[in-house]
Amino acid sequence: MIFLLRRLAFYLAALLVAITLNFFIPRLMPGDPSARIIASFQGRLNESQVQAIRQSYGLTGSLWEQYLTYLGSVARLDFGISTVQFPEPTASLLFYGAGWTLVLVGIAIFFAFIIGSLMGIHAAWHRGSFFDSVFTPINVILNAFTPAIVALLLFYAFSLELKWFPLGRAHDPNLMPGWYPEFILSVLYHATLPVLSIFLVSFGGWHLGMRNVMINLLNEDFVVLARAKGLSDQRVRYRYVARNAILPQITALALSIGFLLGGALVTEQVFNYPGLGKFTFTAIQSRDYSFIQGQLLLLTMSVLVANLVSDIANVILDPRLRR
Amino acid sequence: MSELTQSSPLALGAQPDTGAALAPTQLELMRELGVKPRPGWTSRLSPGLAAFVTNGKGMAGVVILLILVLTSLCAPLLTDFDPKRRAGKPHVEPGYEHVLGTTRMGKDVFTQLVYGGRVSLAVGFGAGIAAAMIGLAIGISAGYFGGRVDDILSFFVNVVLVLPGLPLIIVIATMVEEASPLVIGLVLALTGWGWAARTIRTQTLSLRTREFVLSAELMGEKKWRIILVEIFPNMLSFVMGGFVLGTIAAILAEAALEFIGLGDPNAVTWGTMLFWAQNNLALQSGAWWEIWPPCIAIMLTGAALVLVNFAVDEITNPQLRASRRIGGIRRFLNRRGRSADVF
Amino acid sequence: MSSSPVSRPLMEVRGLTVDYVGETSVARAVNGIDFDIREGEAFGLAGESGCGKSTVAFALARLTRLPGLVSGGSVRFGGEEVLSFGKARLKAYRWREVSFVFQSAMNALNPVIPVSEQIMDVIETHEPRLGEKGARARAVEMFELVGIPPARLDDYPHQFSGGMRQRICIAIALALKPRLIIMDEPTTALDVVVQRDIIEQIVELKAQLGFSVLFITHDLGLMIEFCDRIGVMYSGELVEVAPASSILTNPQHPYTKALGNSFPPLTGPRQRLEGIAGSPPDLRMLPKGCRFAPRCPHAMQVCADTAPELRFYPAQQSEAACHLLN
Repeated sequence: MIFLLRRLAFYLAALLVAITLNFFIPRLMPGDPSARIIASFQGRLNESQVQAIRQSYGLTGSLWEQYLTYLGSVARLDFGISTVQFPEPTASLLFYGAGWTLVLVGIAIFFAFIIGSLMGIHAAWHRGSFFDSVFTPINVILNAFTPAIVALLLFYAFSLELKWFPLGRAHDPNLMPGWYPEFILSVLYHATLPVLSIFLVSFGGWHLGMRNVMINLLNEDFVVLARAKGLSDQRVRYRYVARNAILPQITALALSIGFLLGGALVTEQVFNYPGLGKFTFTAIQSRDYSFIQGQLLLLTMSVLVANLVSDIANVILDPRLRR
Repeated sequence: MSELTQSSPLALGAQPDTGAALAPTQLELMRELGVKPRPGWTSRLSPGLAAFVTNGKGMAGVVILLILVLTSLCAPLLTDFDPKRRAGKPHVEPGYEHVLGTTRMGKDVFTQLVYGGRVSLAVGFGAGIAAAMIGLAIGISAGYFGGRVDDILSFFVNVVLVLPGLPLIIVIATMVEEASPLVIGLVLALTGWGWAARTIRTQTLSLRTREFVLSAELMGEKKWRIILVEIFPNMLSFVMGGFVLGTIAAILAEAALEFIGLGDPNAVTWGTMLFWAQNNLALQSGAWWEIWPPCIAIMLTGAALVLVNFAVDEITNPQLRASRRIGGIRRFLNRRGRSADVF
Repeated sequence: MSSSPVSRPLMEVRGLTVDYVGETSVARAVNGIDFDIREGEAFGLAGESGCGKSTVAFALARLTRLPGLVSGGSVRFGGEEVLSFGKARLKAYRWREVSFVFQSAMNALNPVIPVSEQIMDVIETHEPRLGEKGARARAVEMFELVGIPPARLDDYPHQFSGGMRQRICIAIALALKPRLIIMDEPTTALDVVVQRDIIEQIVELKAQLGFSVLFITHDLGLMIEFCDRIGVMYSGELVEVAPASSILTNPQHPYTKALGNSFPPLTGPRQRLEGIAGSPPDLRMLPKGCRFAPRCPHAMQVCADTAPELRFYPAQQSEAACHLLN
């Protein structure tokens, strides 16, 4: 329990760091986020209106006051007003996009972790065999490809040339969103290629990670003892080796979520998928600062939550942490 | 001749067991298993370097990287065109005059590729080295000094590890307006040192309590000297690993950032080539030659670095090395009708 | 000559050779050793670090790990050739007939599953007819045998002290009442007081259950108290095998003599301690003659040319490999 509380304290501290960075970076740069909006009104605003706009961007008062106001608004999940879709609040855009991104990343991670880990277990158990000498390098090299490129290649091959998959969007625009089979199938159909791109670049990492952890474990005394005891291969493989190997892998999973989310951003751009990434892209092009800052905070919070979940999983699975 | 009584094995009339296989001599065994000593010239190198140089995968990676670096460096020799100016008609297919065709703006793709390589590789390697150095400094300090220093440094290491990299870089890069490759490289270095710091800290912690360090301290050696002379040489392989991984991450991140439009669109790098290709709907208009070359270049660089990383992994982890001999050992046992003991 | 019936030894080792396959060379850790372990006997294998005694232990239990390889020799247990056992026969051999105790009990126990499972899984695997209840009953019996309260059966390894963990490992080793237990430095990682406890426990259990023990350690003094016969290894070869009572009082081999001289006696006049000058040979390229010759104060020309054989000397009731004795 103490372990979990310390982790929670750390995550809150990390979140504070992210918020503070978010606060200071725009203020360190030349220029002013609100200047654009004000300029777009081309001088038809009076002084109090300009002040009101500046206030909504948190640019009035002393630095400390601004900081506190910012903290307060983040706590209320008020990420400001979007400049692109003025005056839509950024938060609603963020959450809409985040939902779709979650579908993508969630499915991709699920398959990548499970399939990659199983392949890694197999490669470690039969190390030096054909499977290991061939698939391990291939999977790892795949892992080194940037998601952007894999997405582009898949898009080119399957959407453009072969026309097996749609050119974009999250679902058939003719269907109304809802929880019925047709819609869900459409969502899955549209998500296939983006999920595949993310899957291809990440499962190799799990393969290699699991394989290396297991190879180190295979040399441990307790595994040799398990073999010496004459236990079945099945039992040794799962109850002794994999059960221990999963612990560092879960931690690694949590740490990699940040990276995977980044990769998803680019993939969505290629597939015109209405997730966080696509909105971020438009936000970048139109310099919608509040959205960009908002996505950092939202993603940071997601990563921290994922880490907390993995810590909880570790406590459940590792009796040594339960003191 | 000594008398034999009941209690010795020789007394029991034990004959040399006809069932017992006589072991081959060491040289015969080496020949059978395919174990060869290293070529003579490697004996002048340090053992780690010698191991690396004889590693097939690692050397393949190094060769690929060398080819990429050389072609980029020799760019002016390989092409007469200017990468930033029109060289021909738009979207010309690859042919004699334009080996890889031209972009929508009429710029020569091959020229852009080799000149762009200079920047992409420089930023990638630069950021990788910088991240490895920062990680090294912080990791060693945290591991060696321990206590308060370790607590504070570890906190920062963990924060850097946990914060999602790309979104943070996006925030910074957007604020800087059009980020030149140099700025991108700097930002990548500042956000990418986490992993190296963590592994190096762990390694330092384990080395710290080893006898040779303790004896140096007892003799009154200055701390910085201990770090440099005693601890650092044992880290070399970890630093290498950190550098390789950092470089891979930097190259991929740089390409991704420029691809989504955060880079300086006037710069010529592999990432911006992708950006323009995407912007110009190269795929949709069938101009595959605008997209594939930078893709392949990035993929090759990534693959080469991964191969080098494999080699570094094998050198640092004896268990992975041992796996390479399994095939030979299994065959040896099979030939004698025996089964393997453990793994 | 009297002709009393000769009982076949429990385990006969002949010409056992184990190599470690490296990247660029092969190191011969054990070079063709011969010895026997008799029924109900405690046989000790002594020697300095790196002499190959642990390697022998693993080889006998068929637990040689990569990059080790048993490249030749014969190990007969109850008349059967252990090295040629197939998977099925090996499974029956393992734990039922020969079990193993590791040096570090903390590393030998799976940290994420309870201790009860670690002792019950081997019982359930080899004696399925006992069922879960029977297995648990046996586990309780084993715990009581080694002196651990059965109430702690479901705890995890990290919740026990070092000495208790080693007892748990011994309990696991005894679970199927094997005929031979191989112990690889079982007390080296423990402090002296606990060491004493564990050894006494083993002695008691051995008297009670009648199994043989192959006891590996570098602590010659400990061995003498506990073992019946002791074999001394140097650089992969057996240089002397003698009863425990006479190995230090009447050593035959120069190396054994030197070992004895490096132990300070607890009583008696103060003597100058002598180490053994030099260092063990490089296992990758072994000398032709006697391996100890470079460090031996009595080395002769013949020692460098031919390796001495292990021979039995009835007068001392021991075997030794040294040209000096001929």
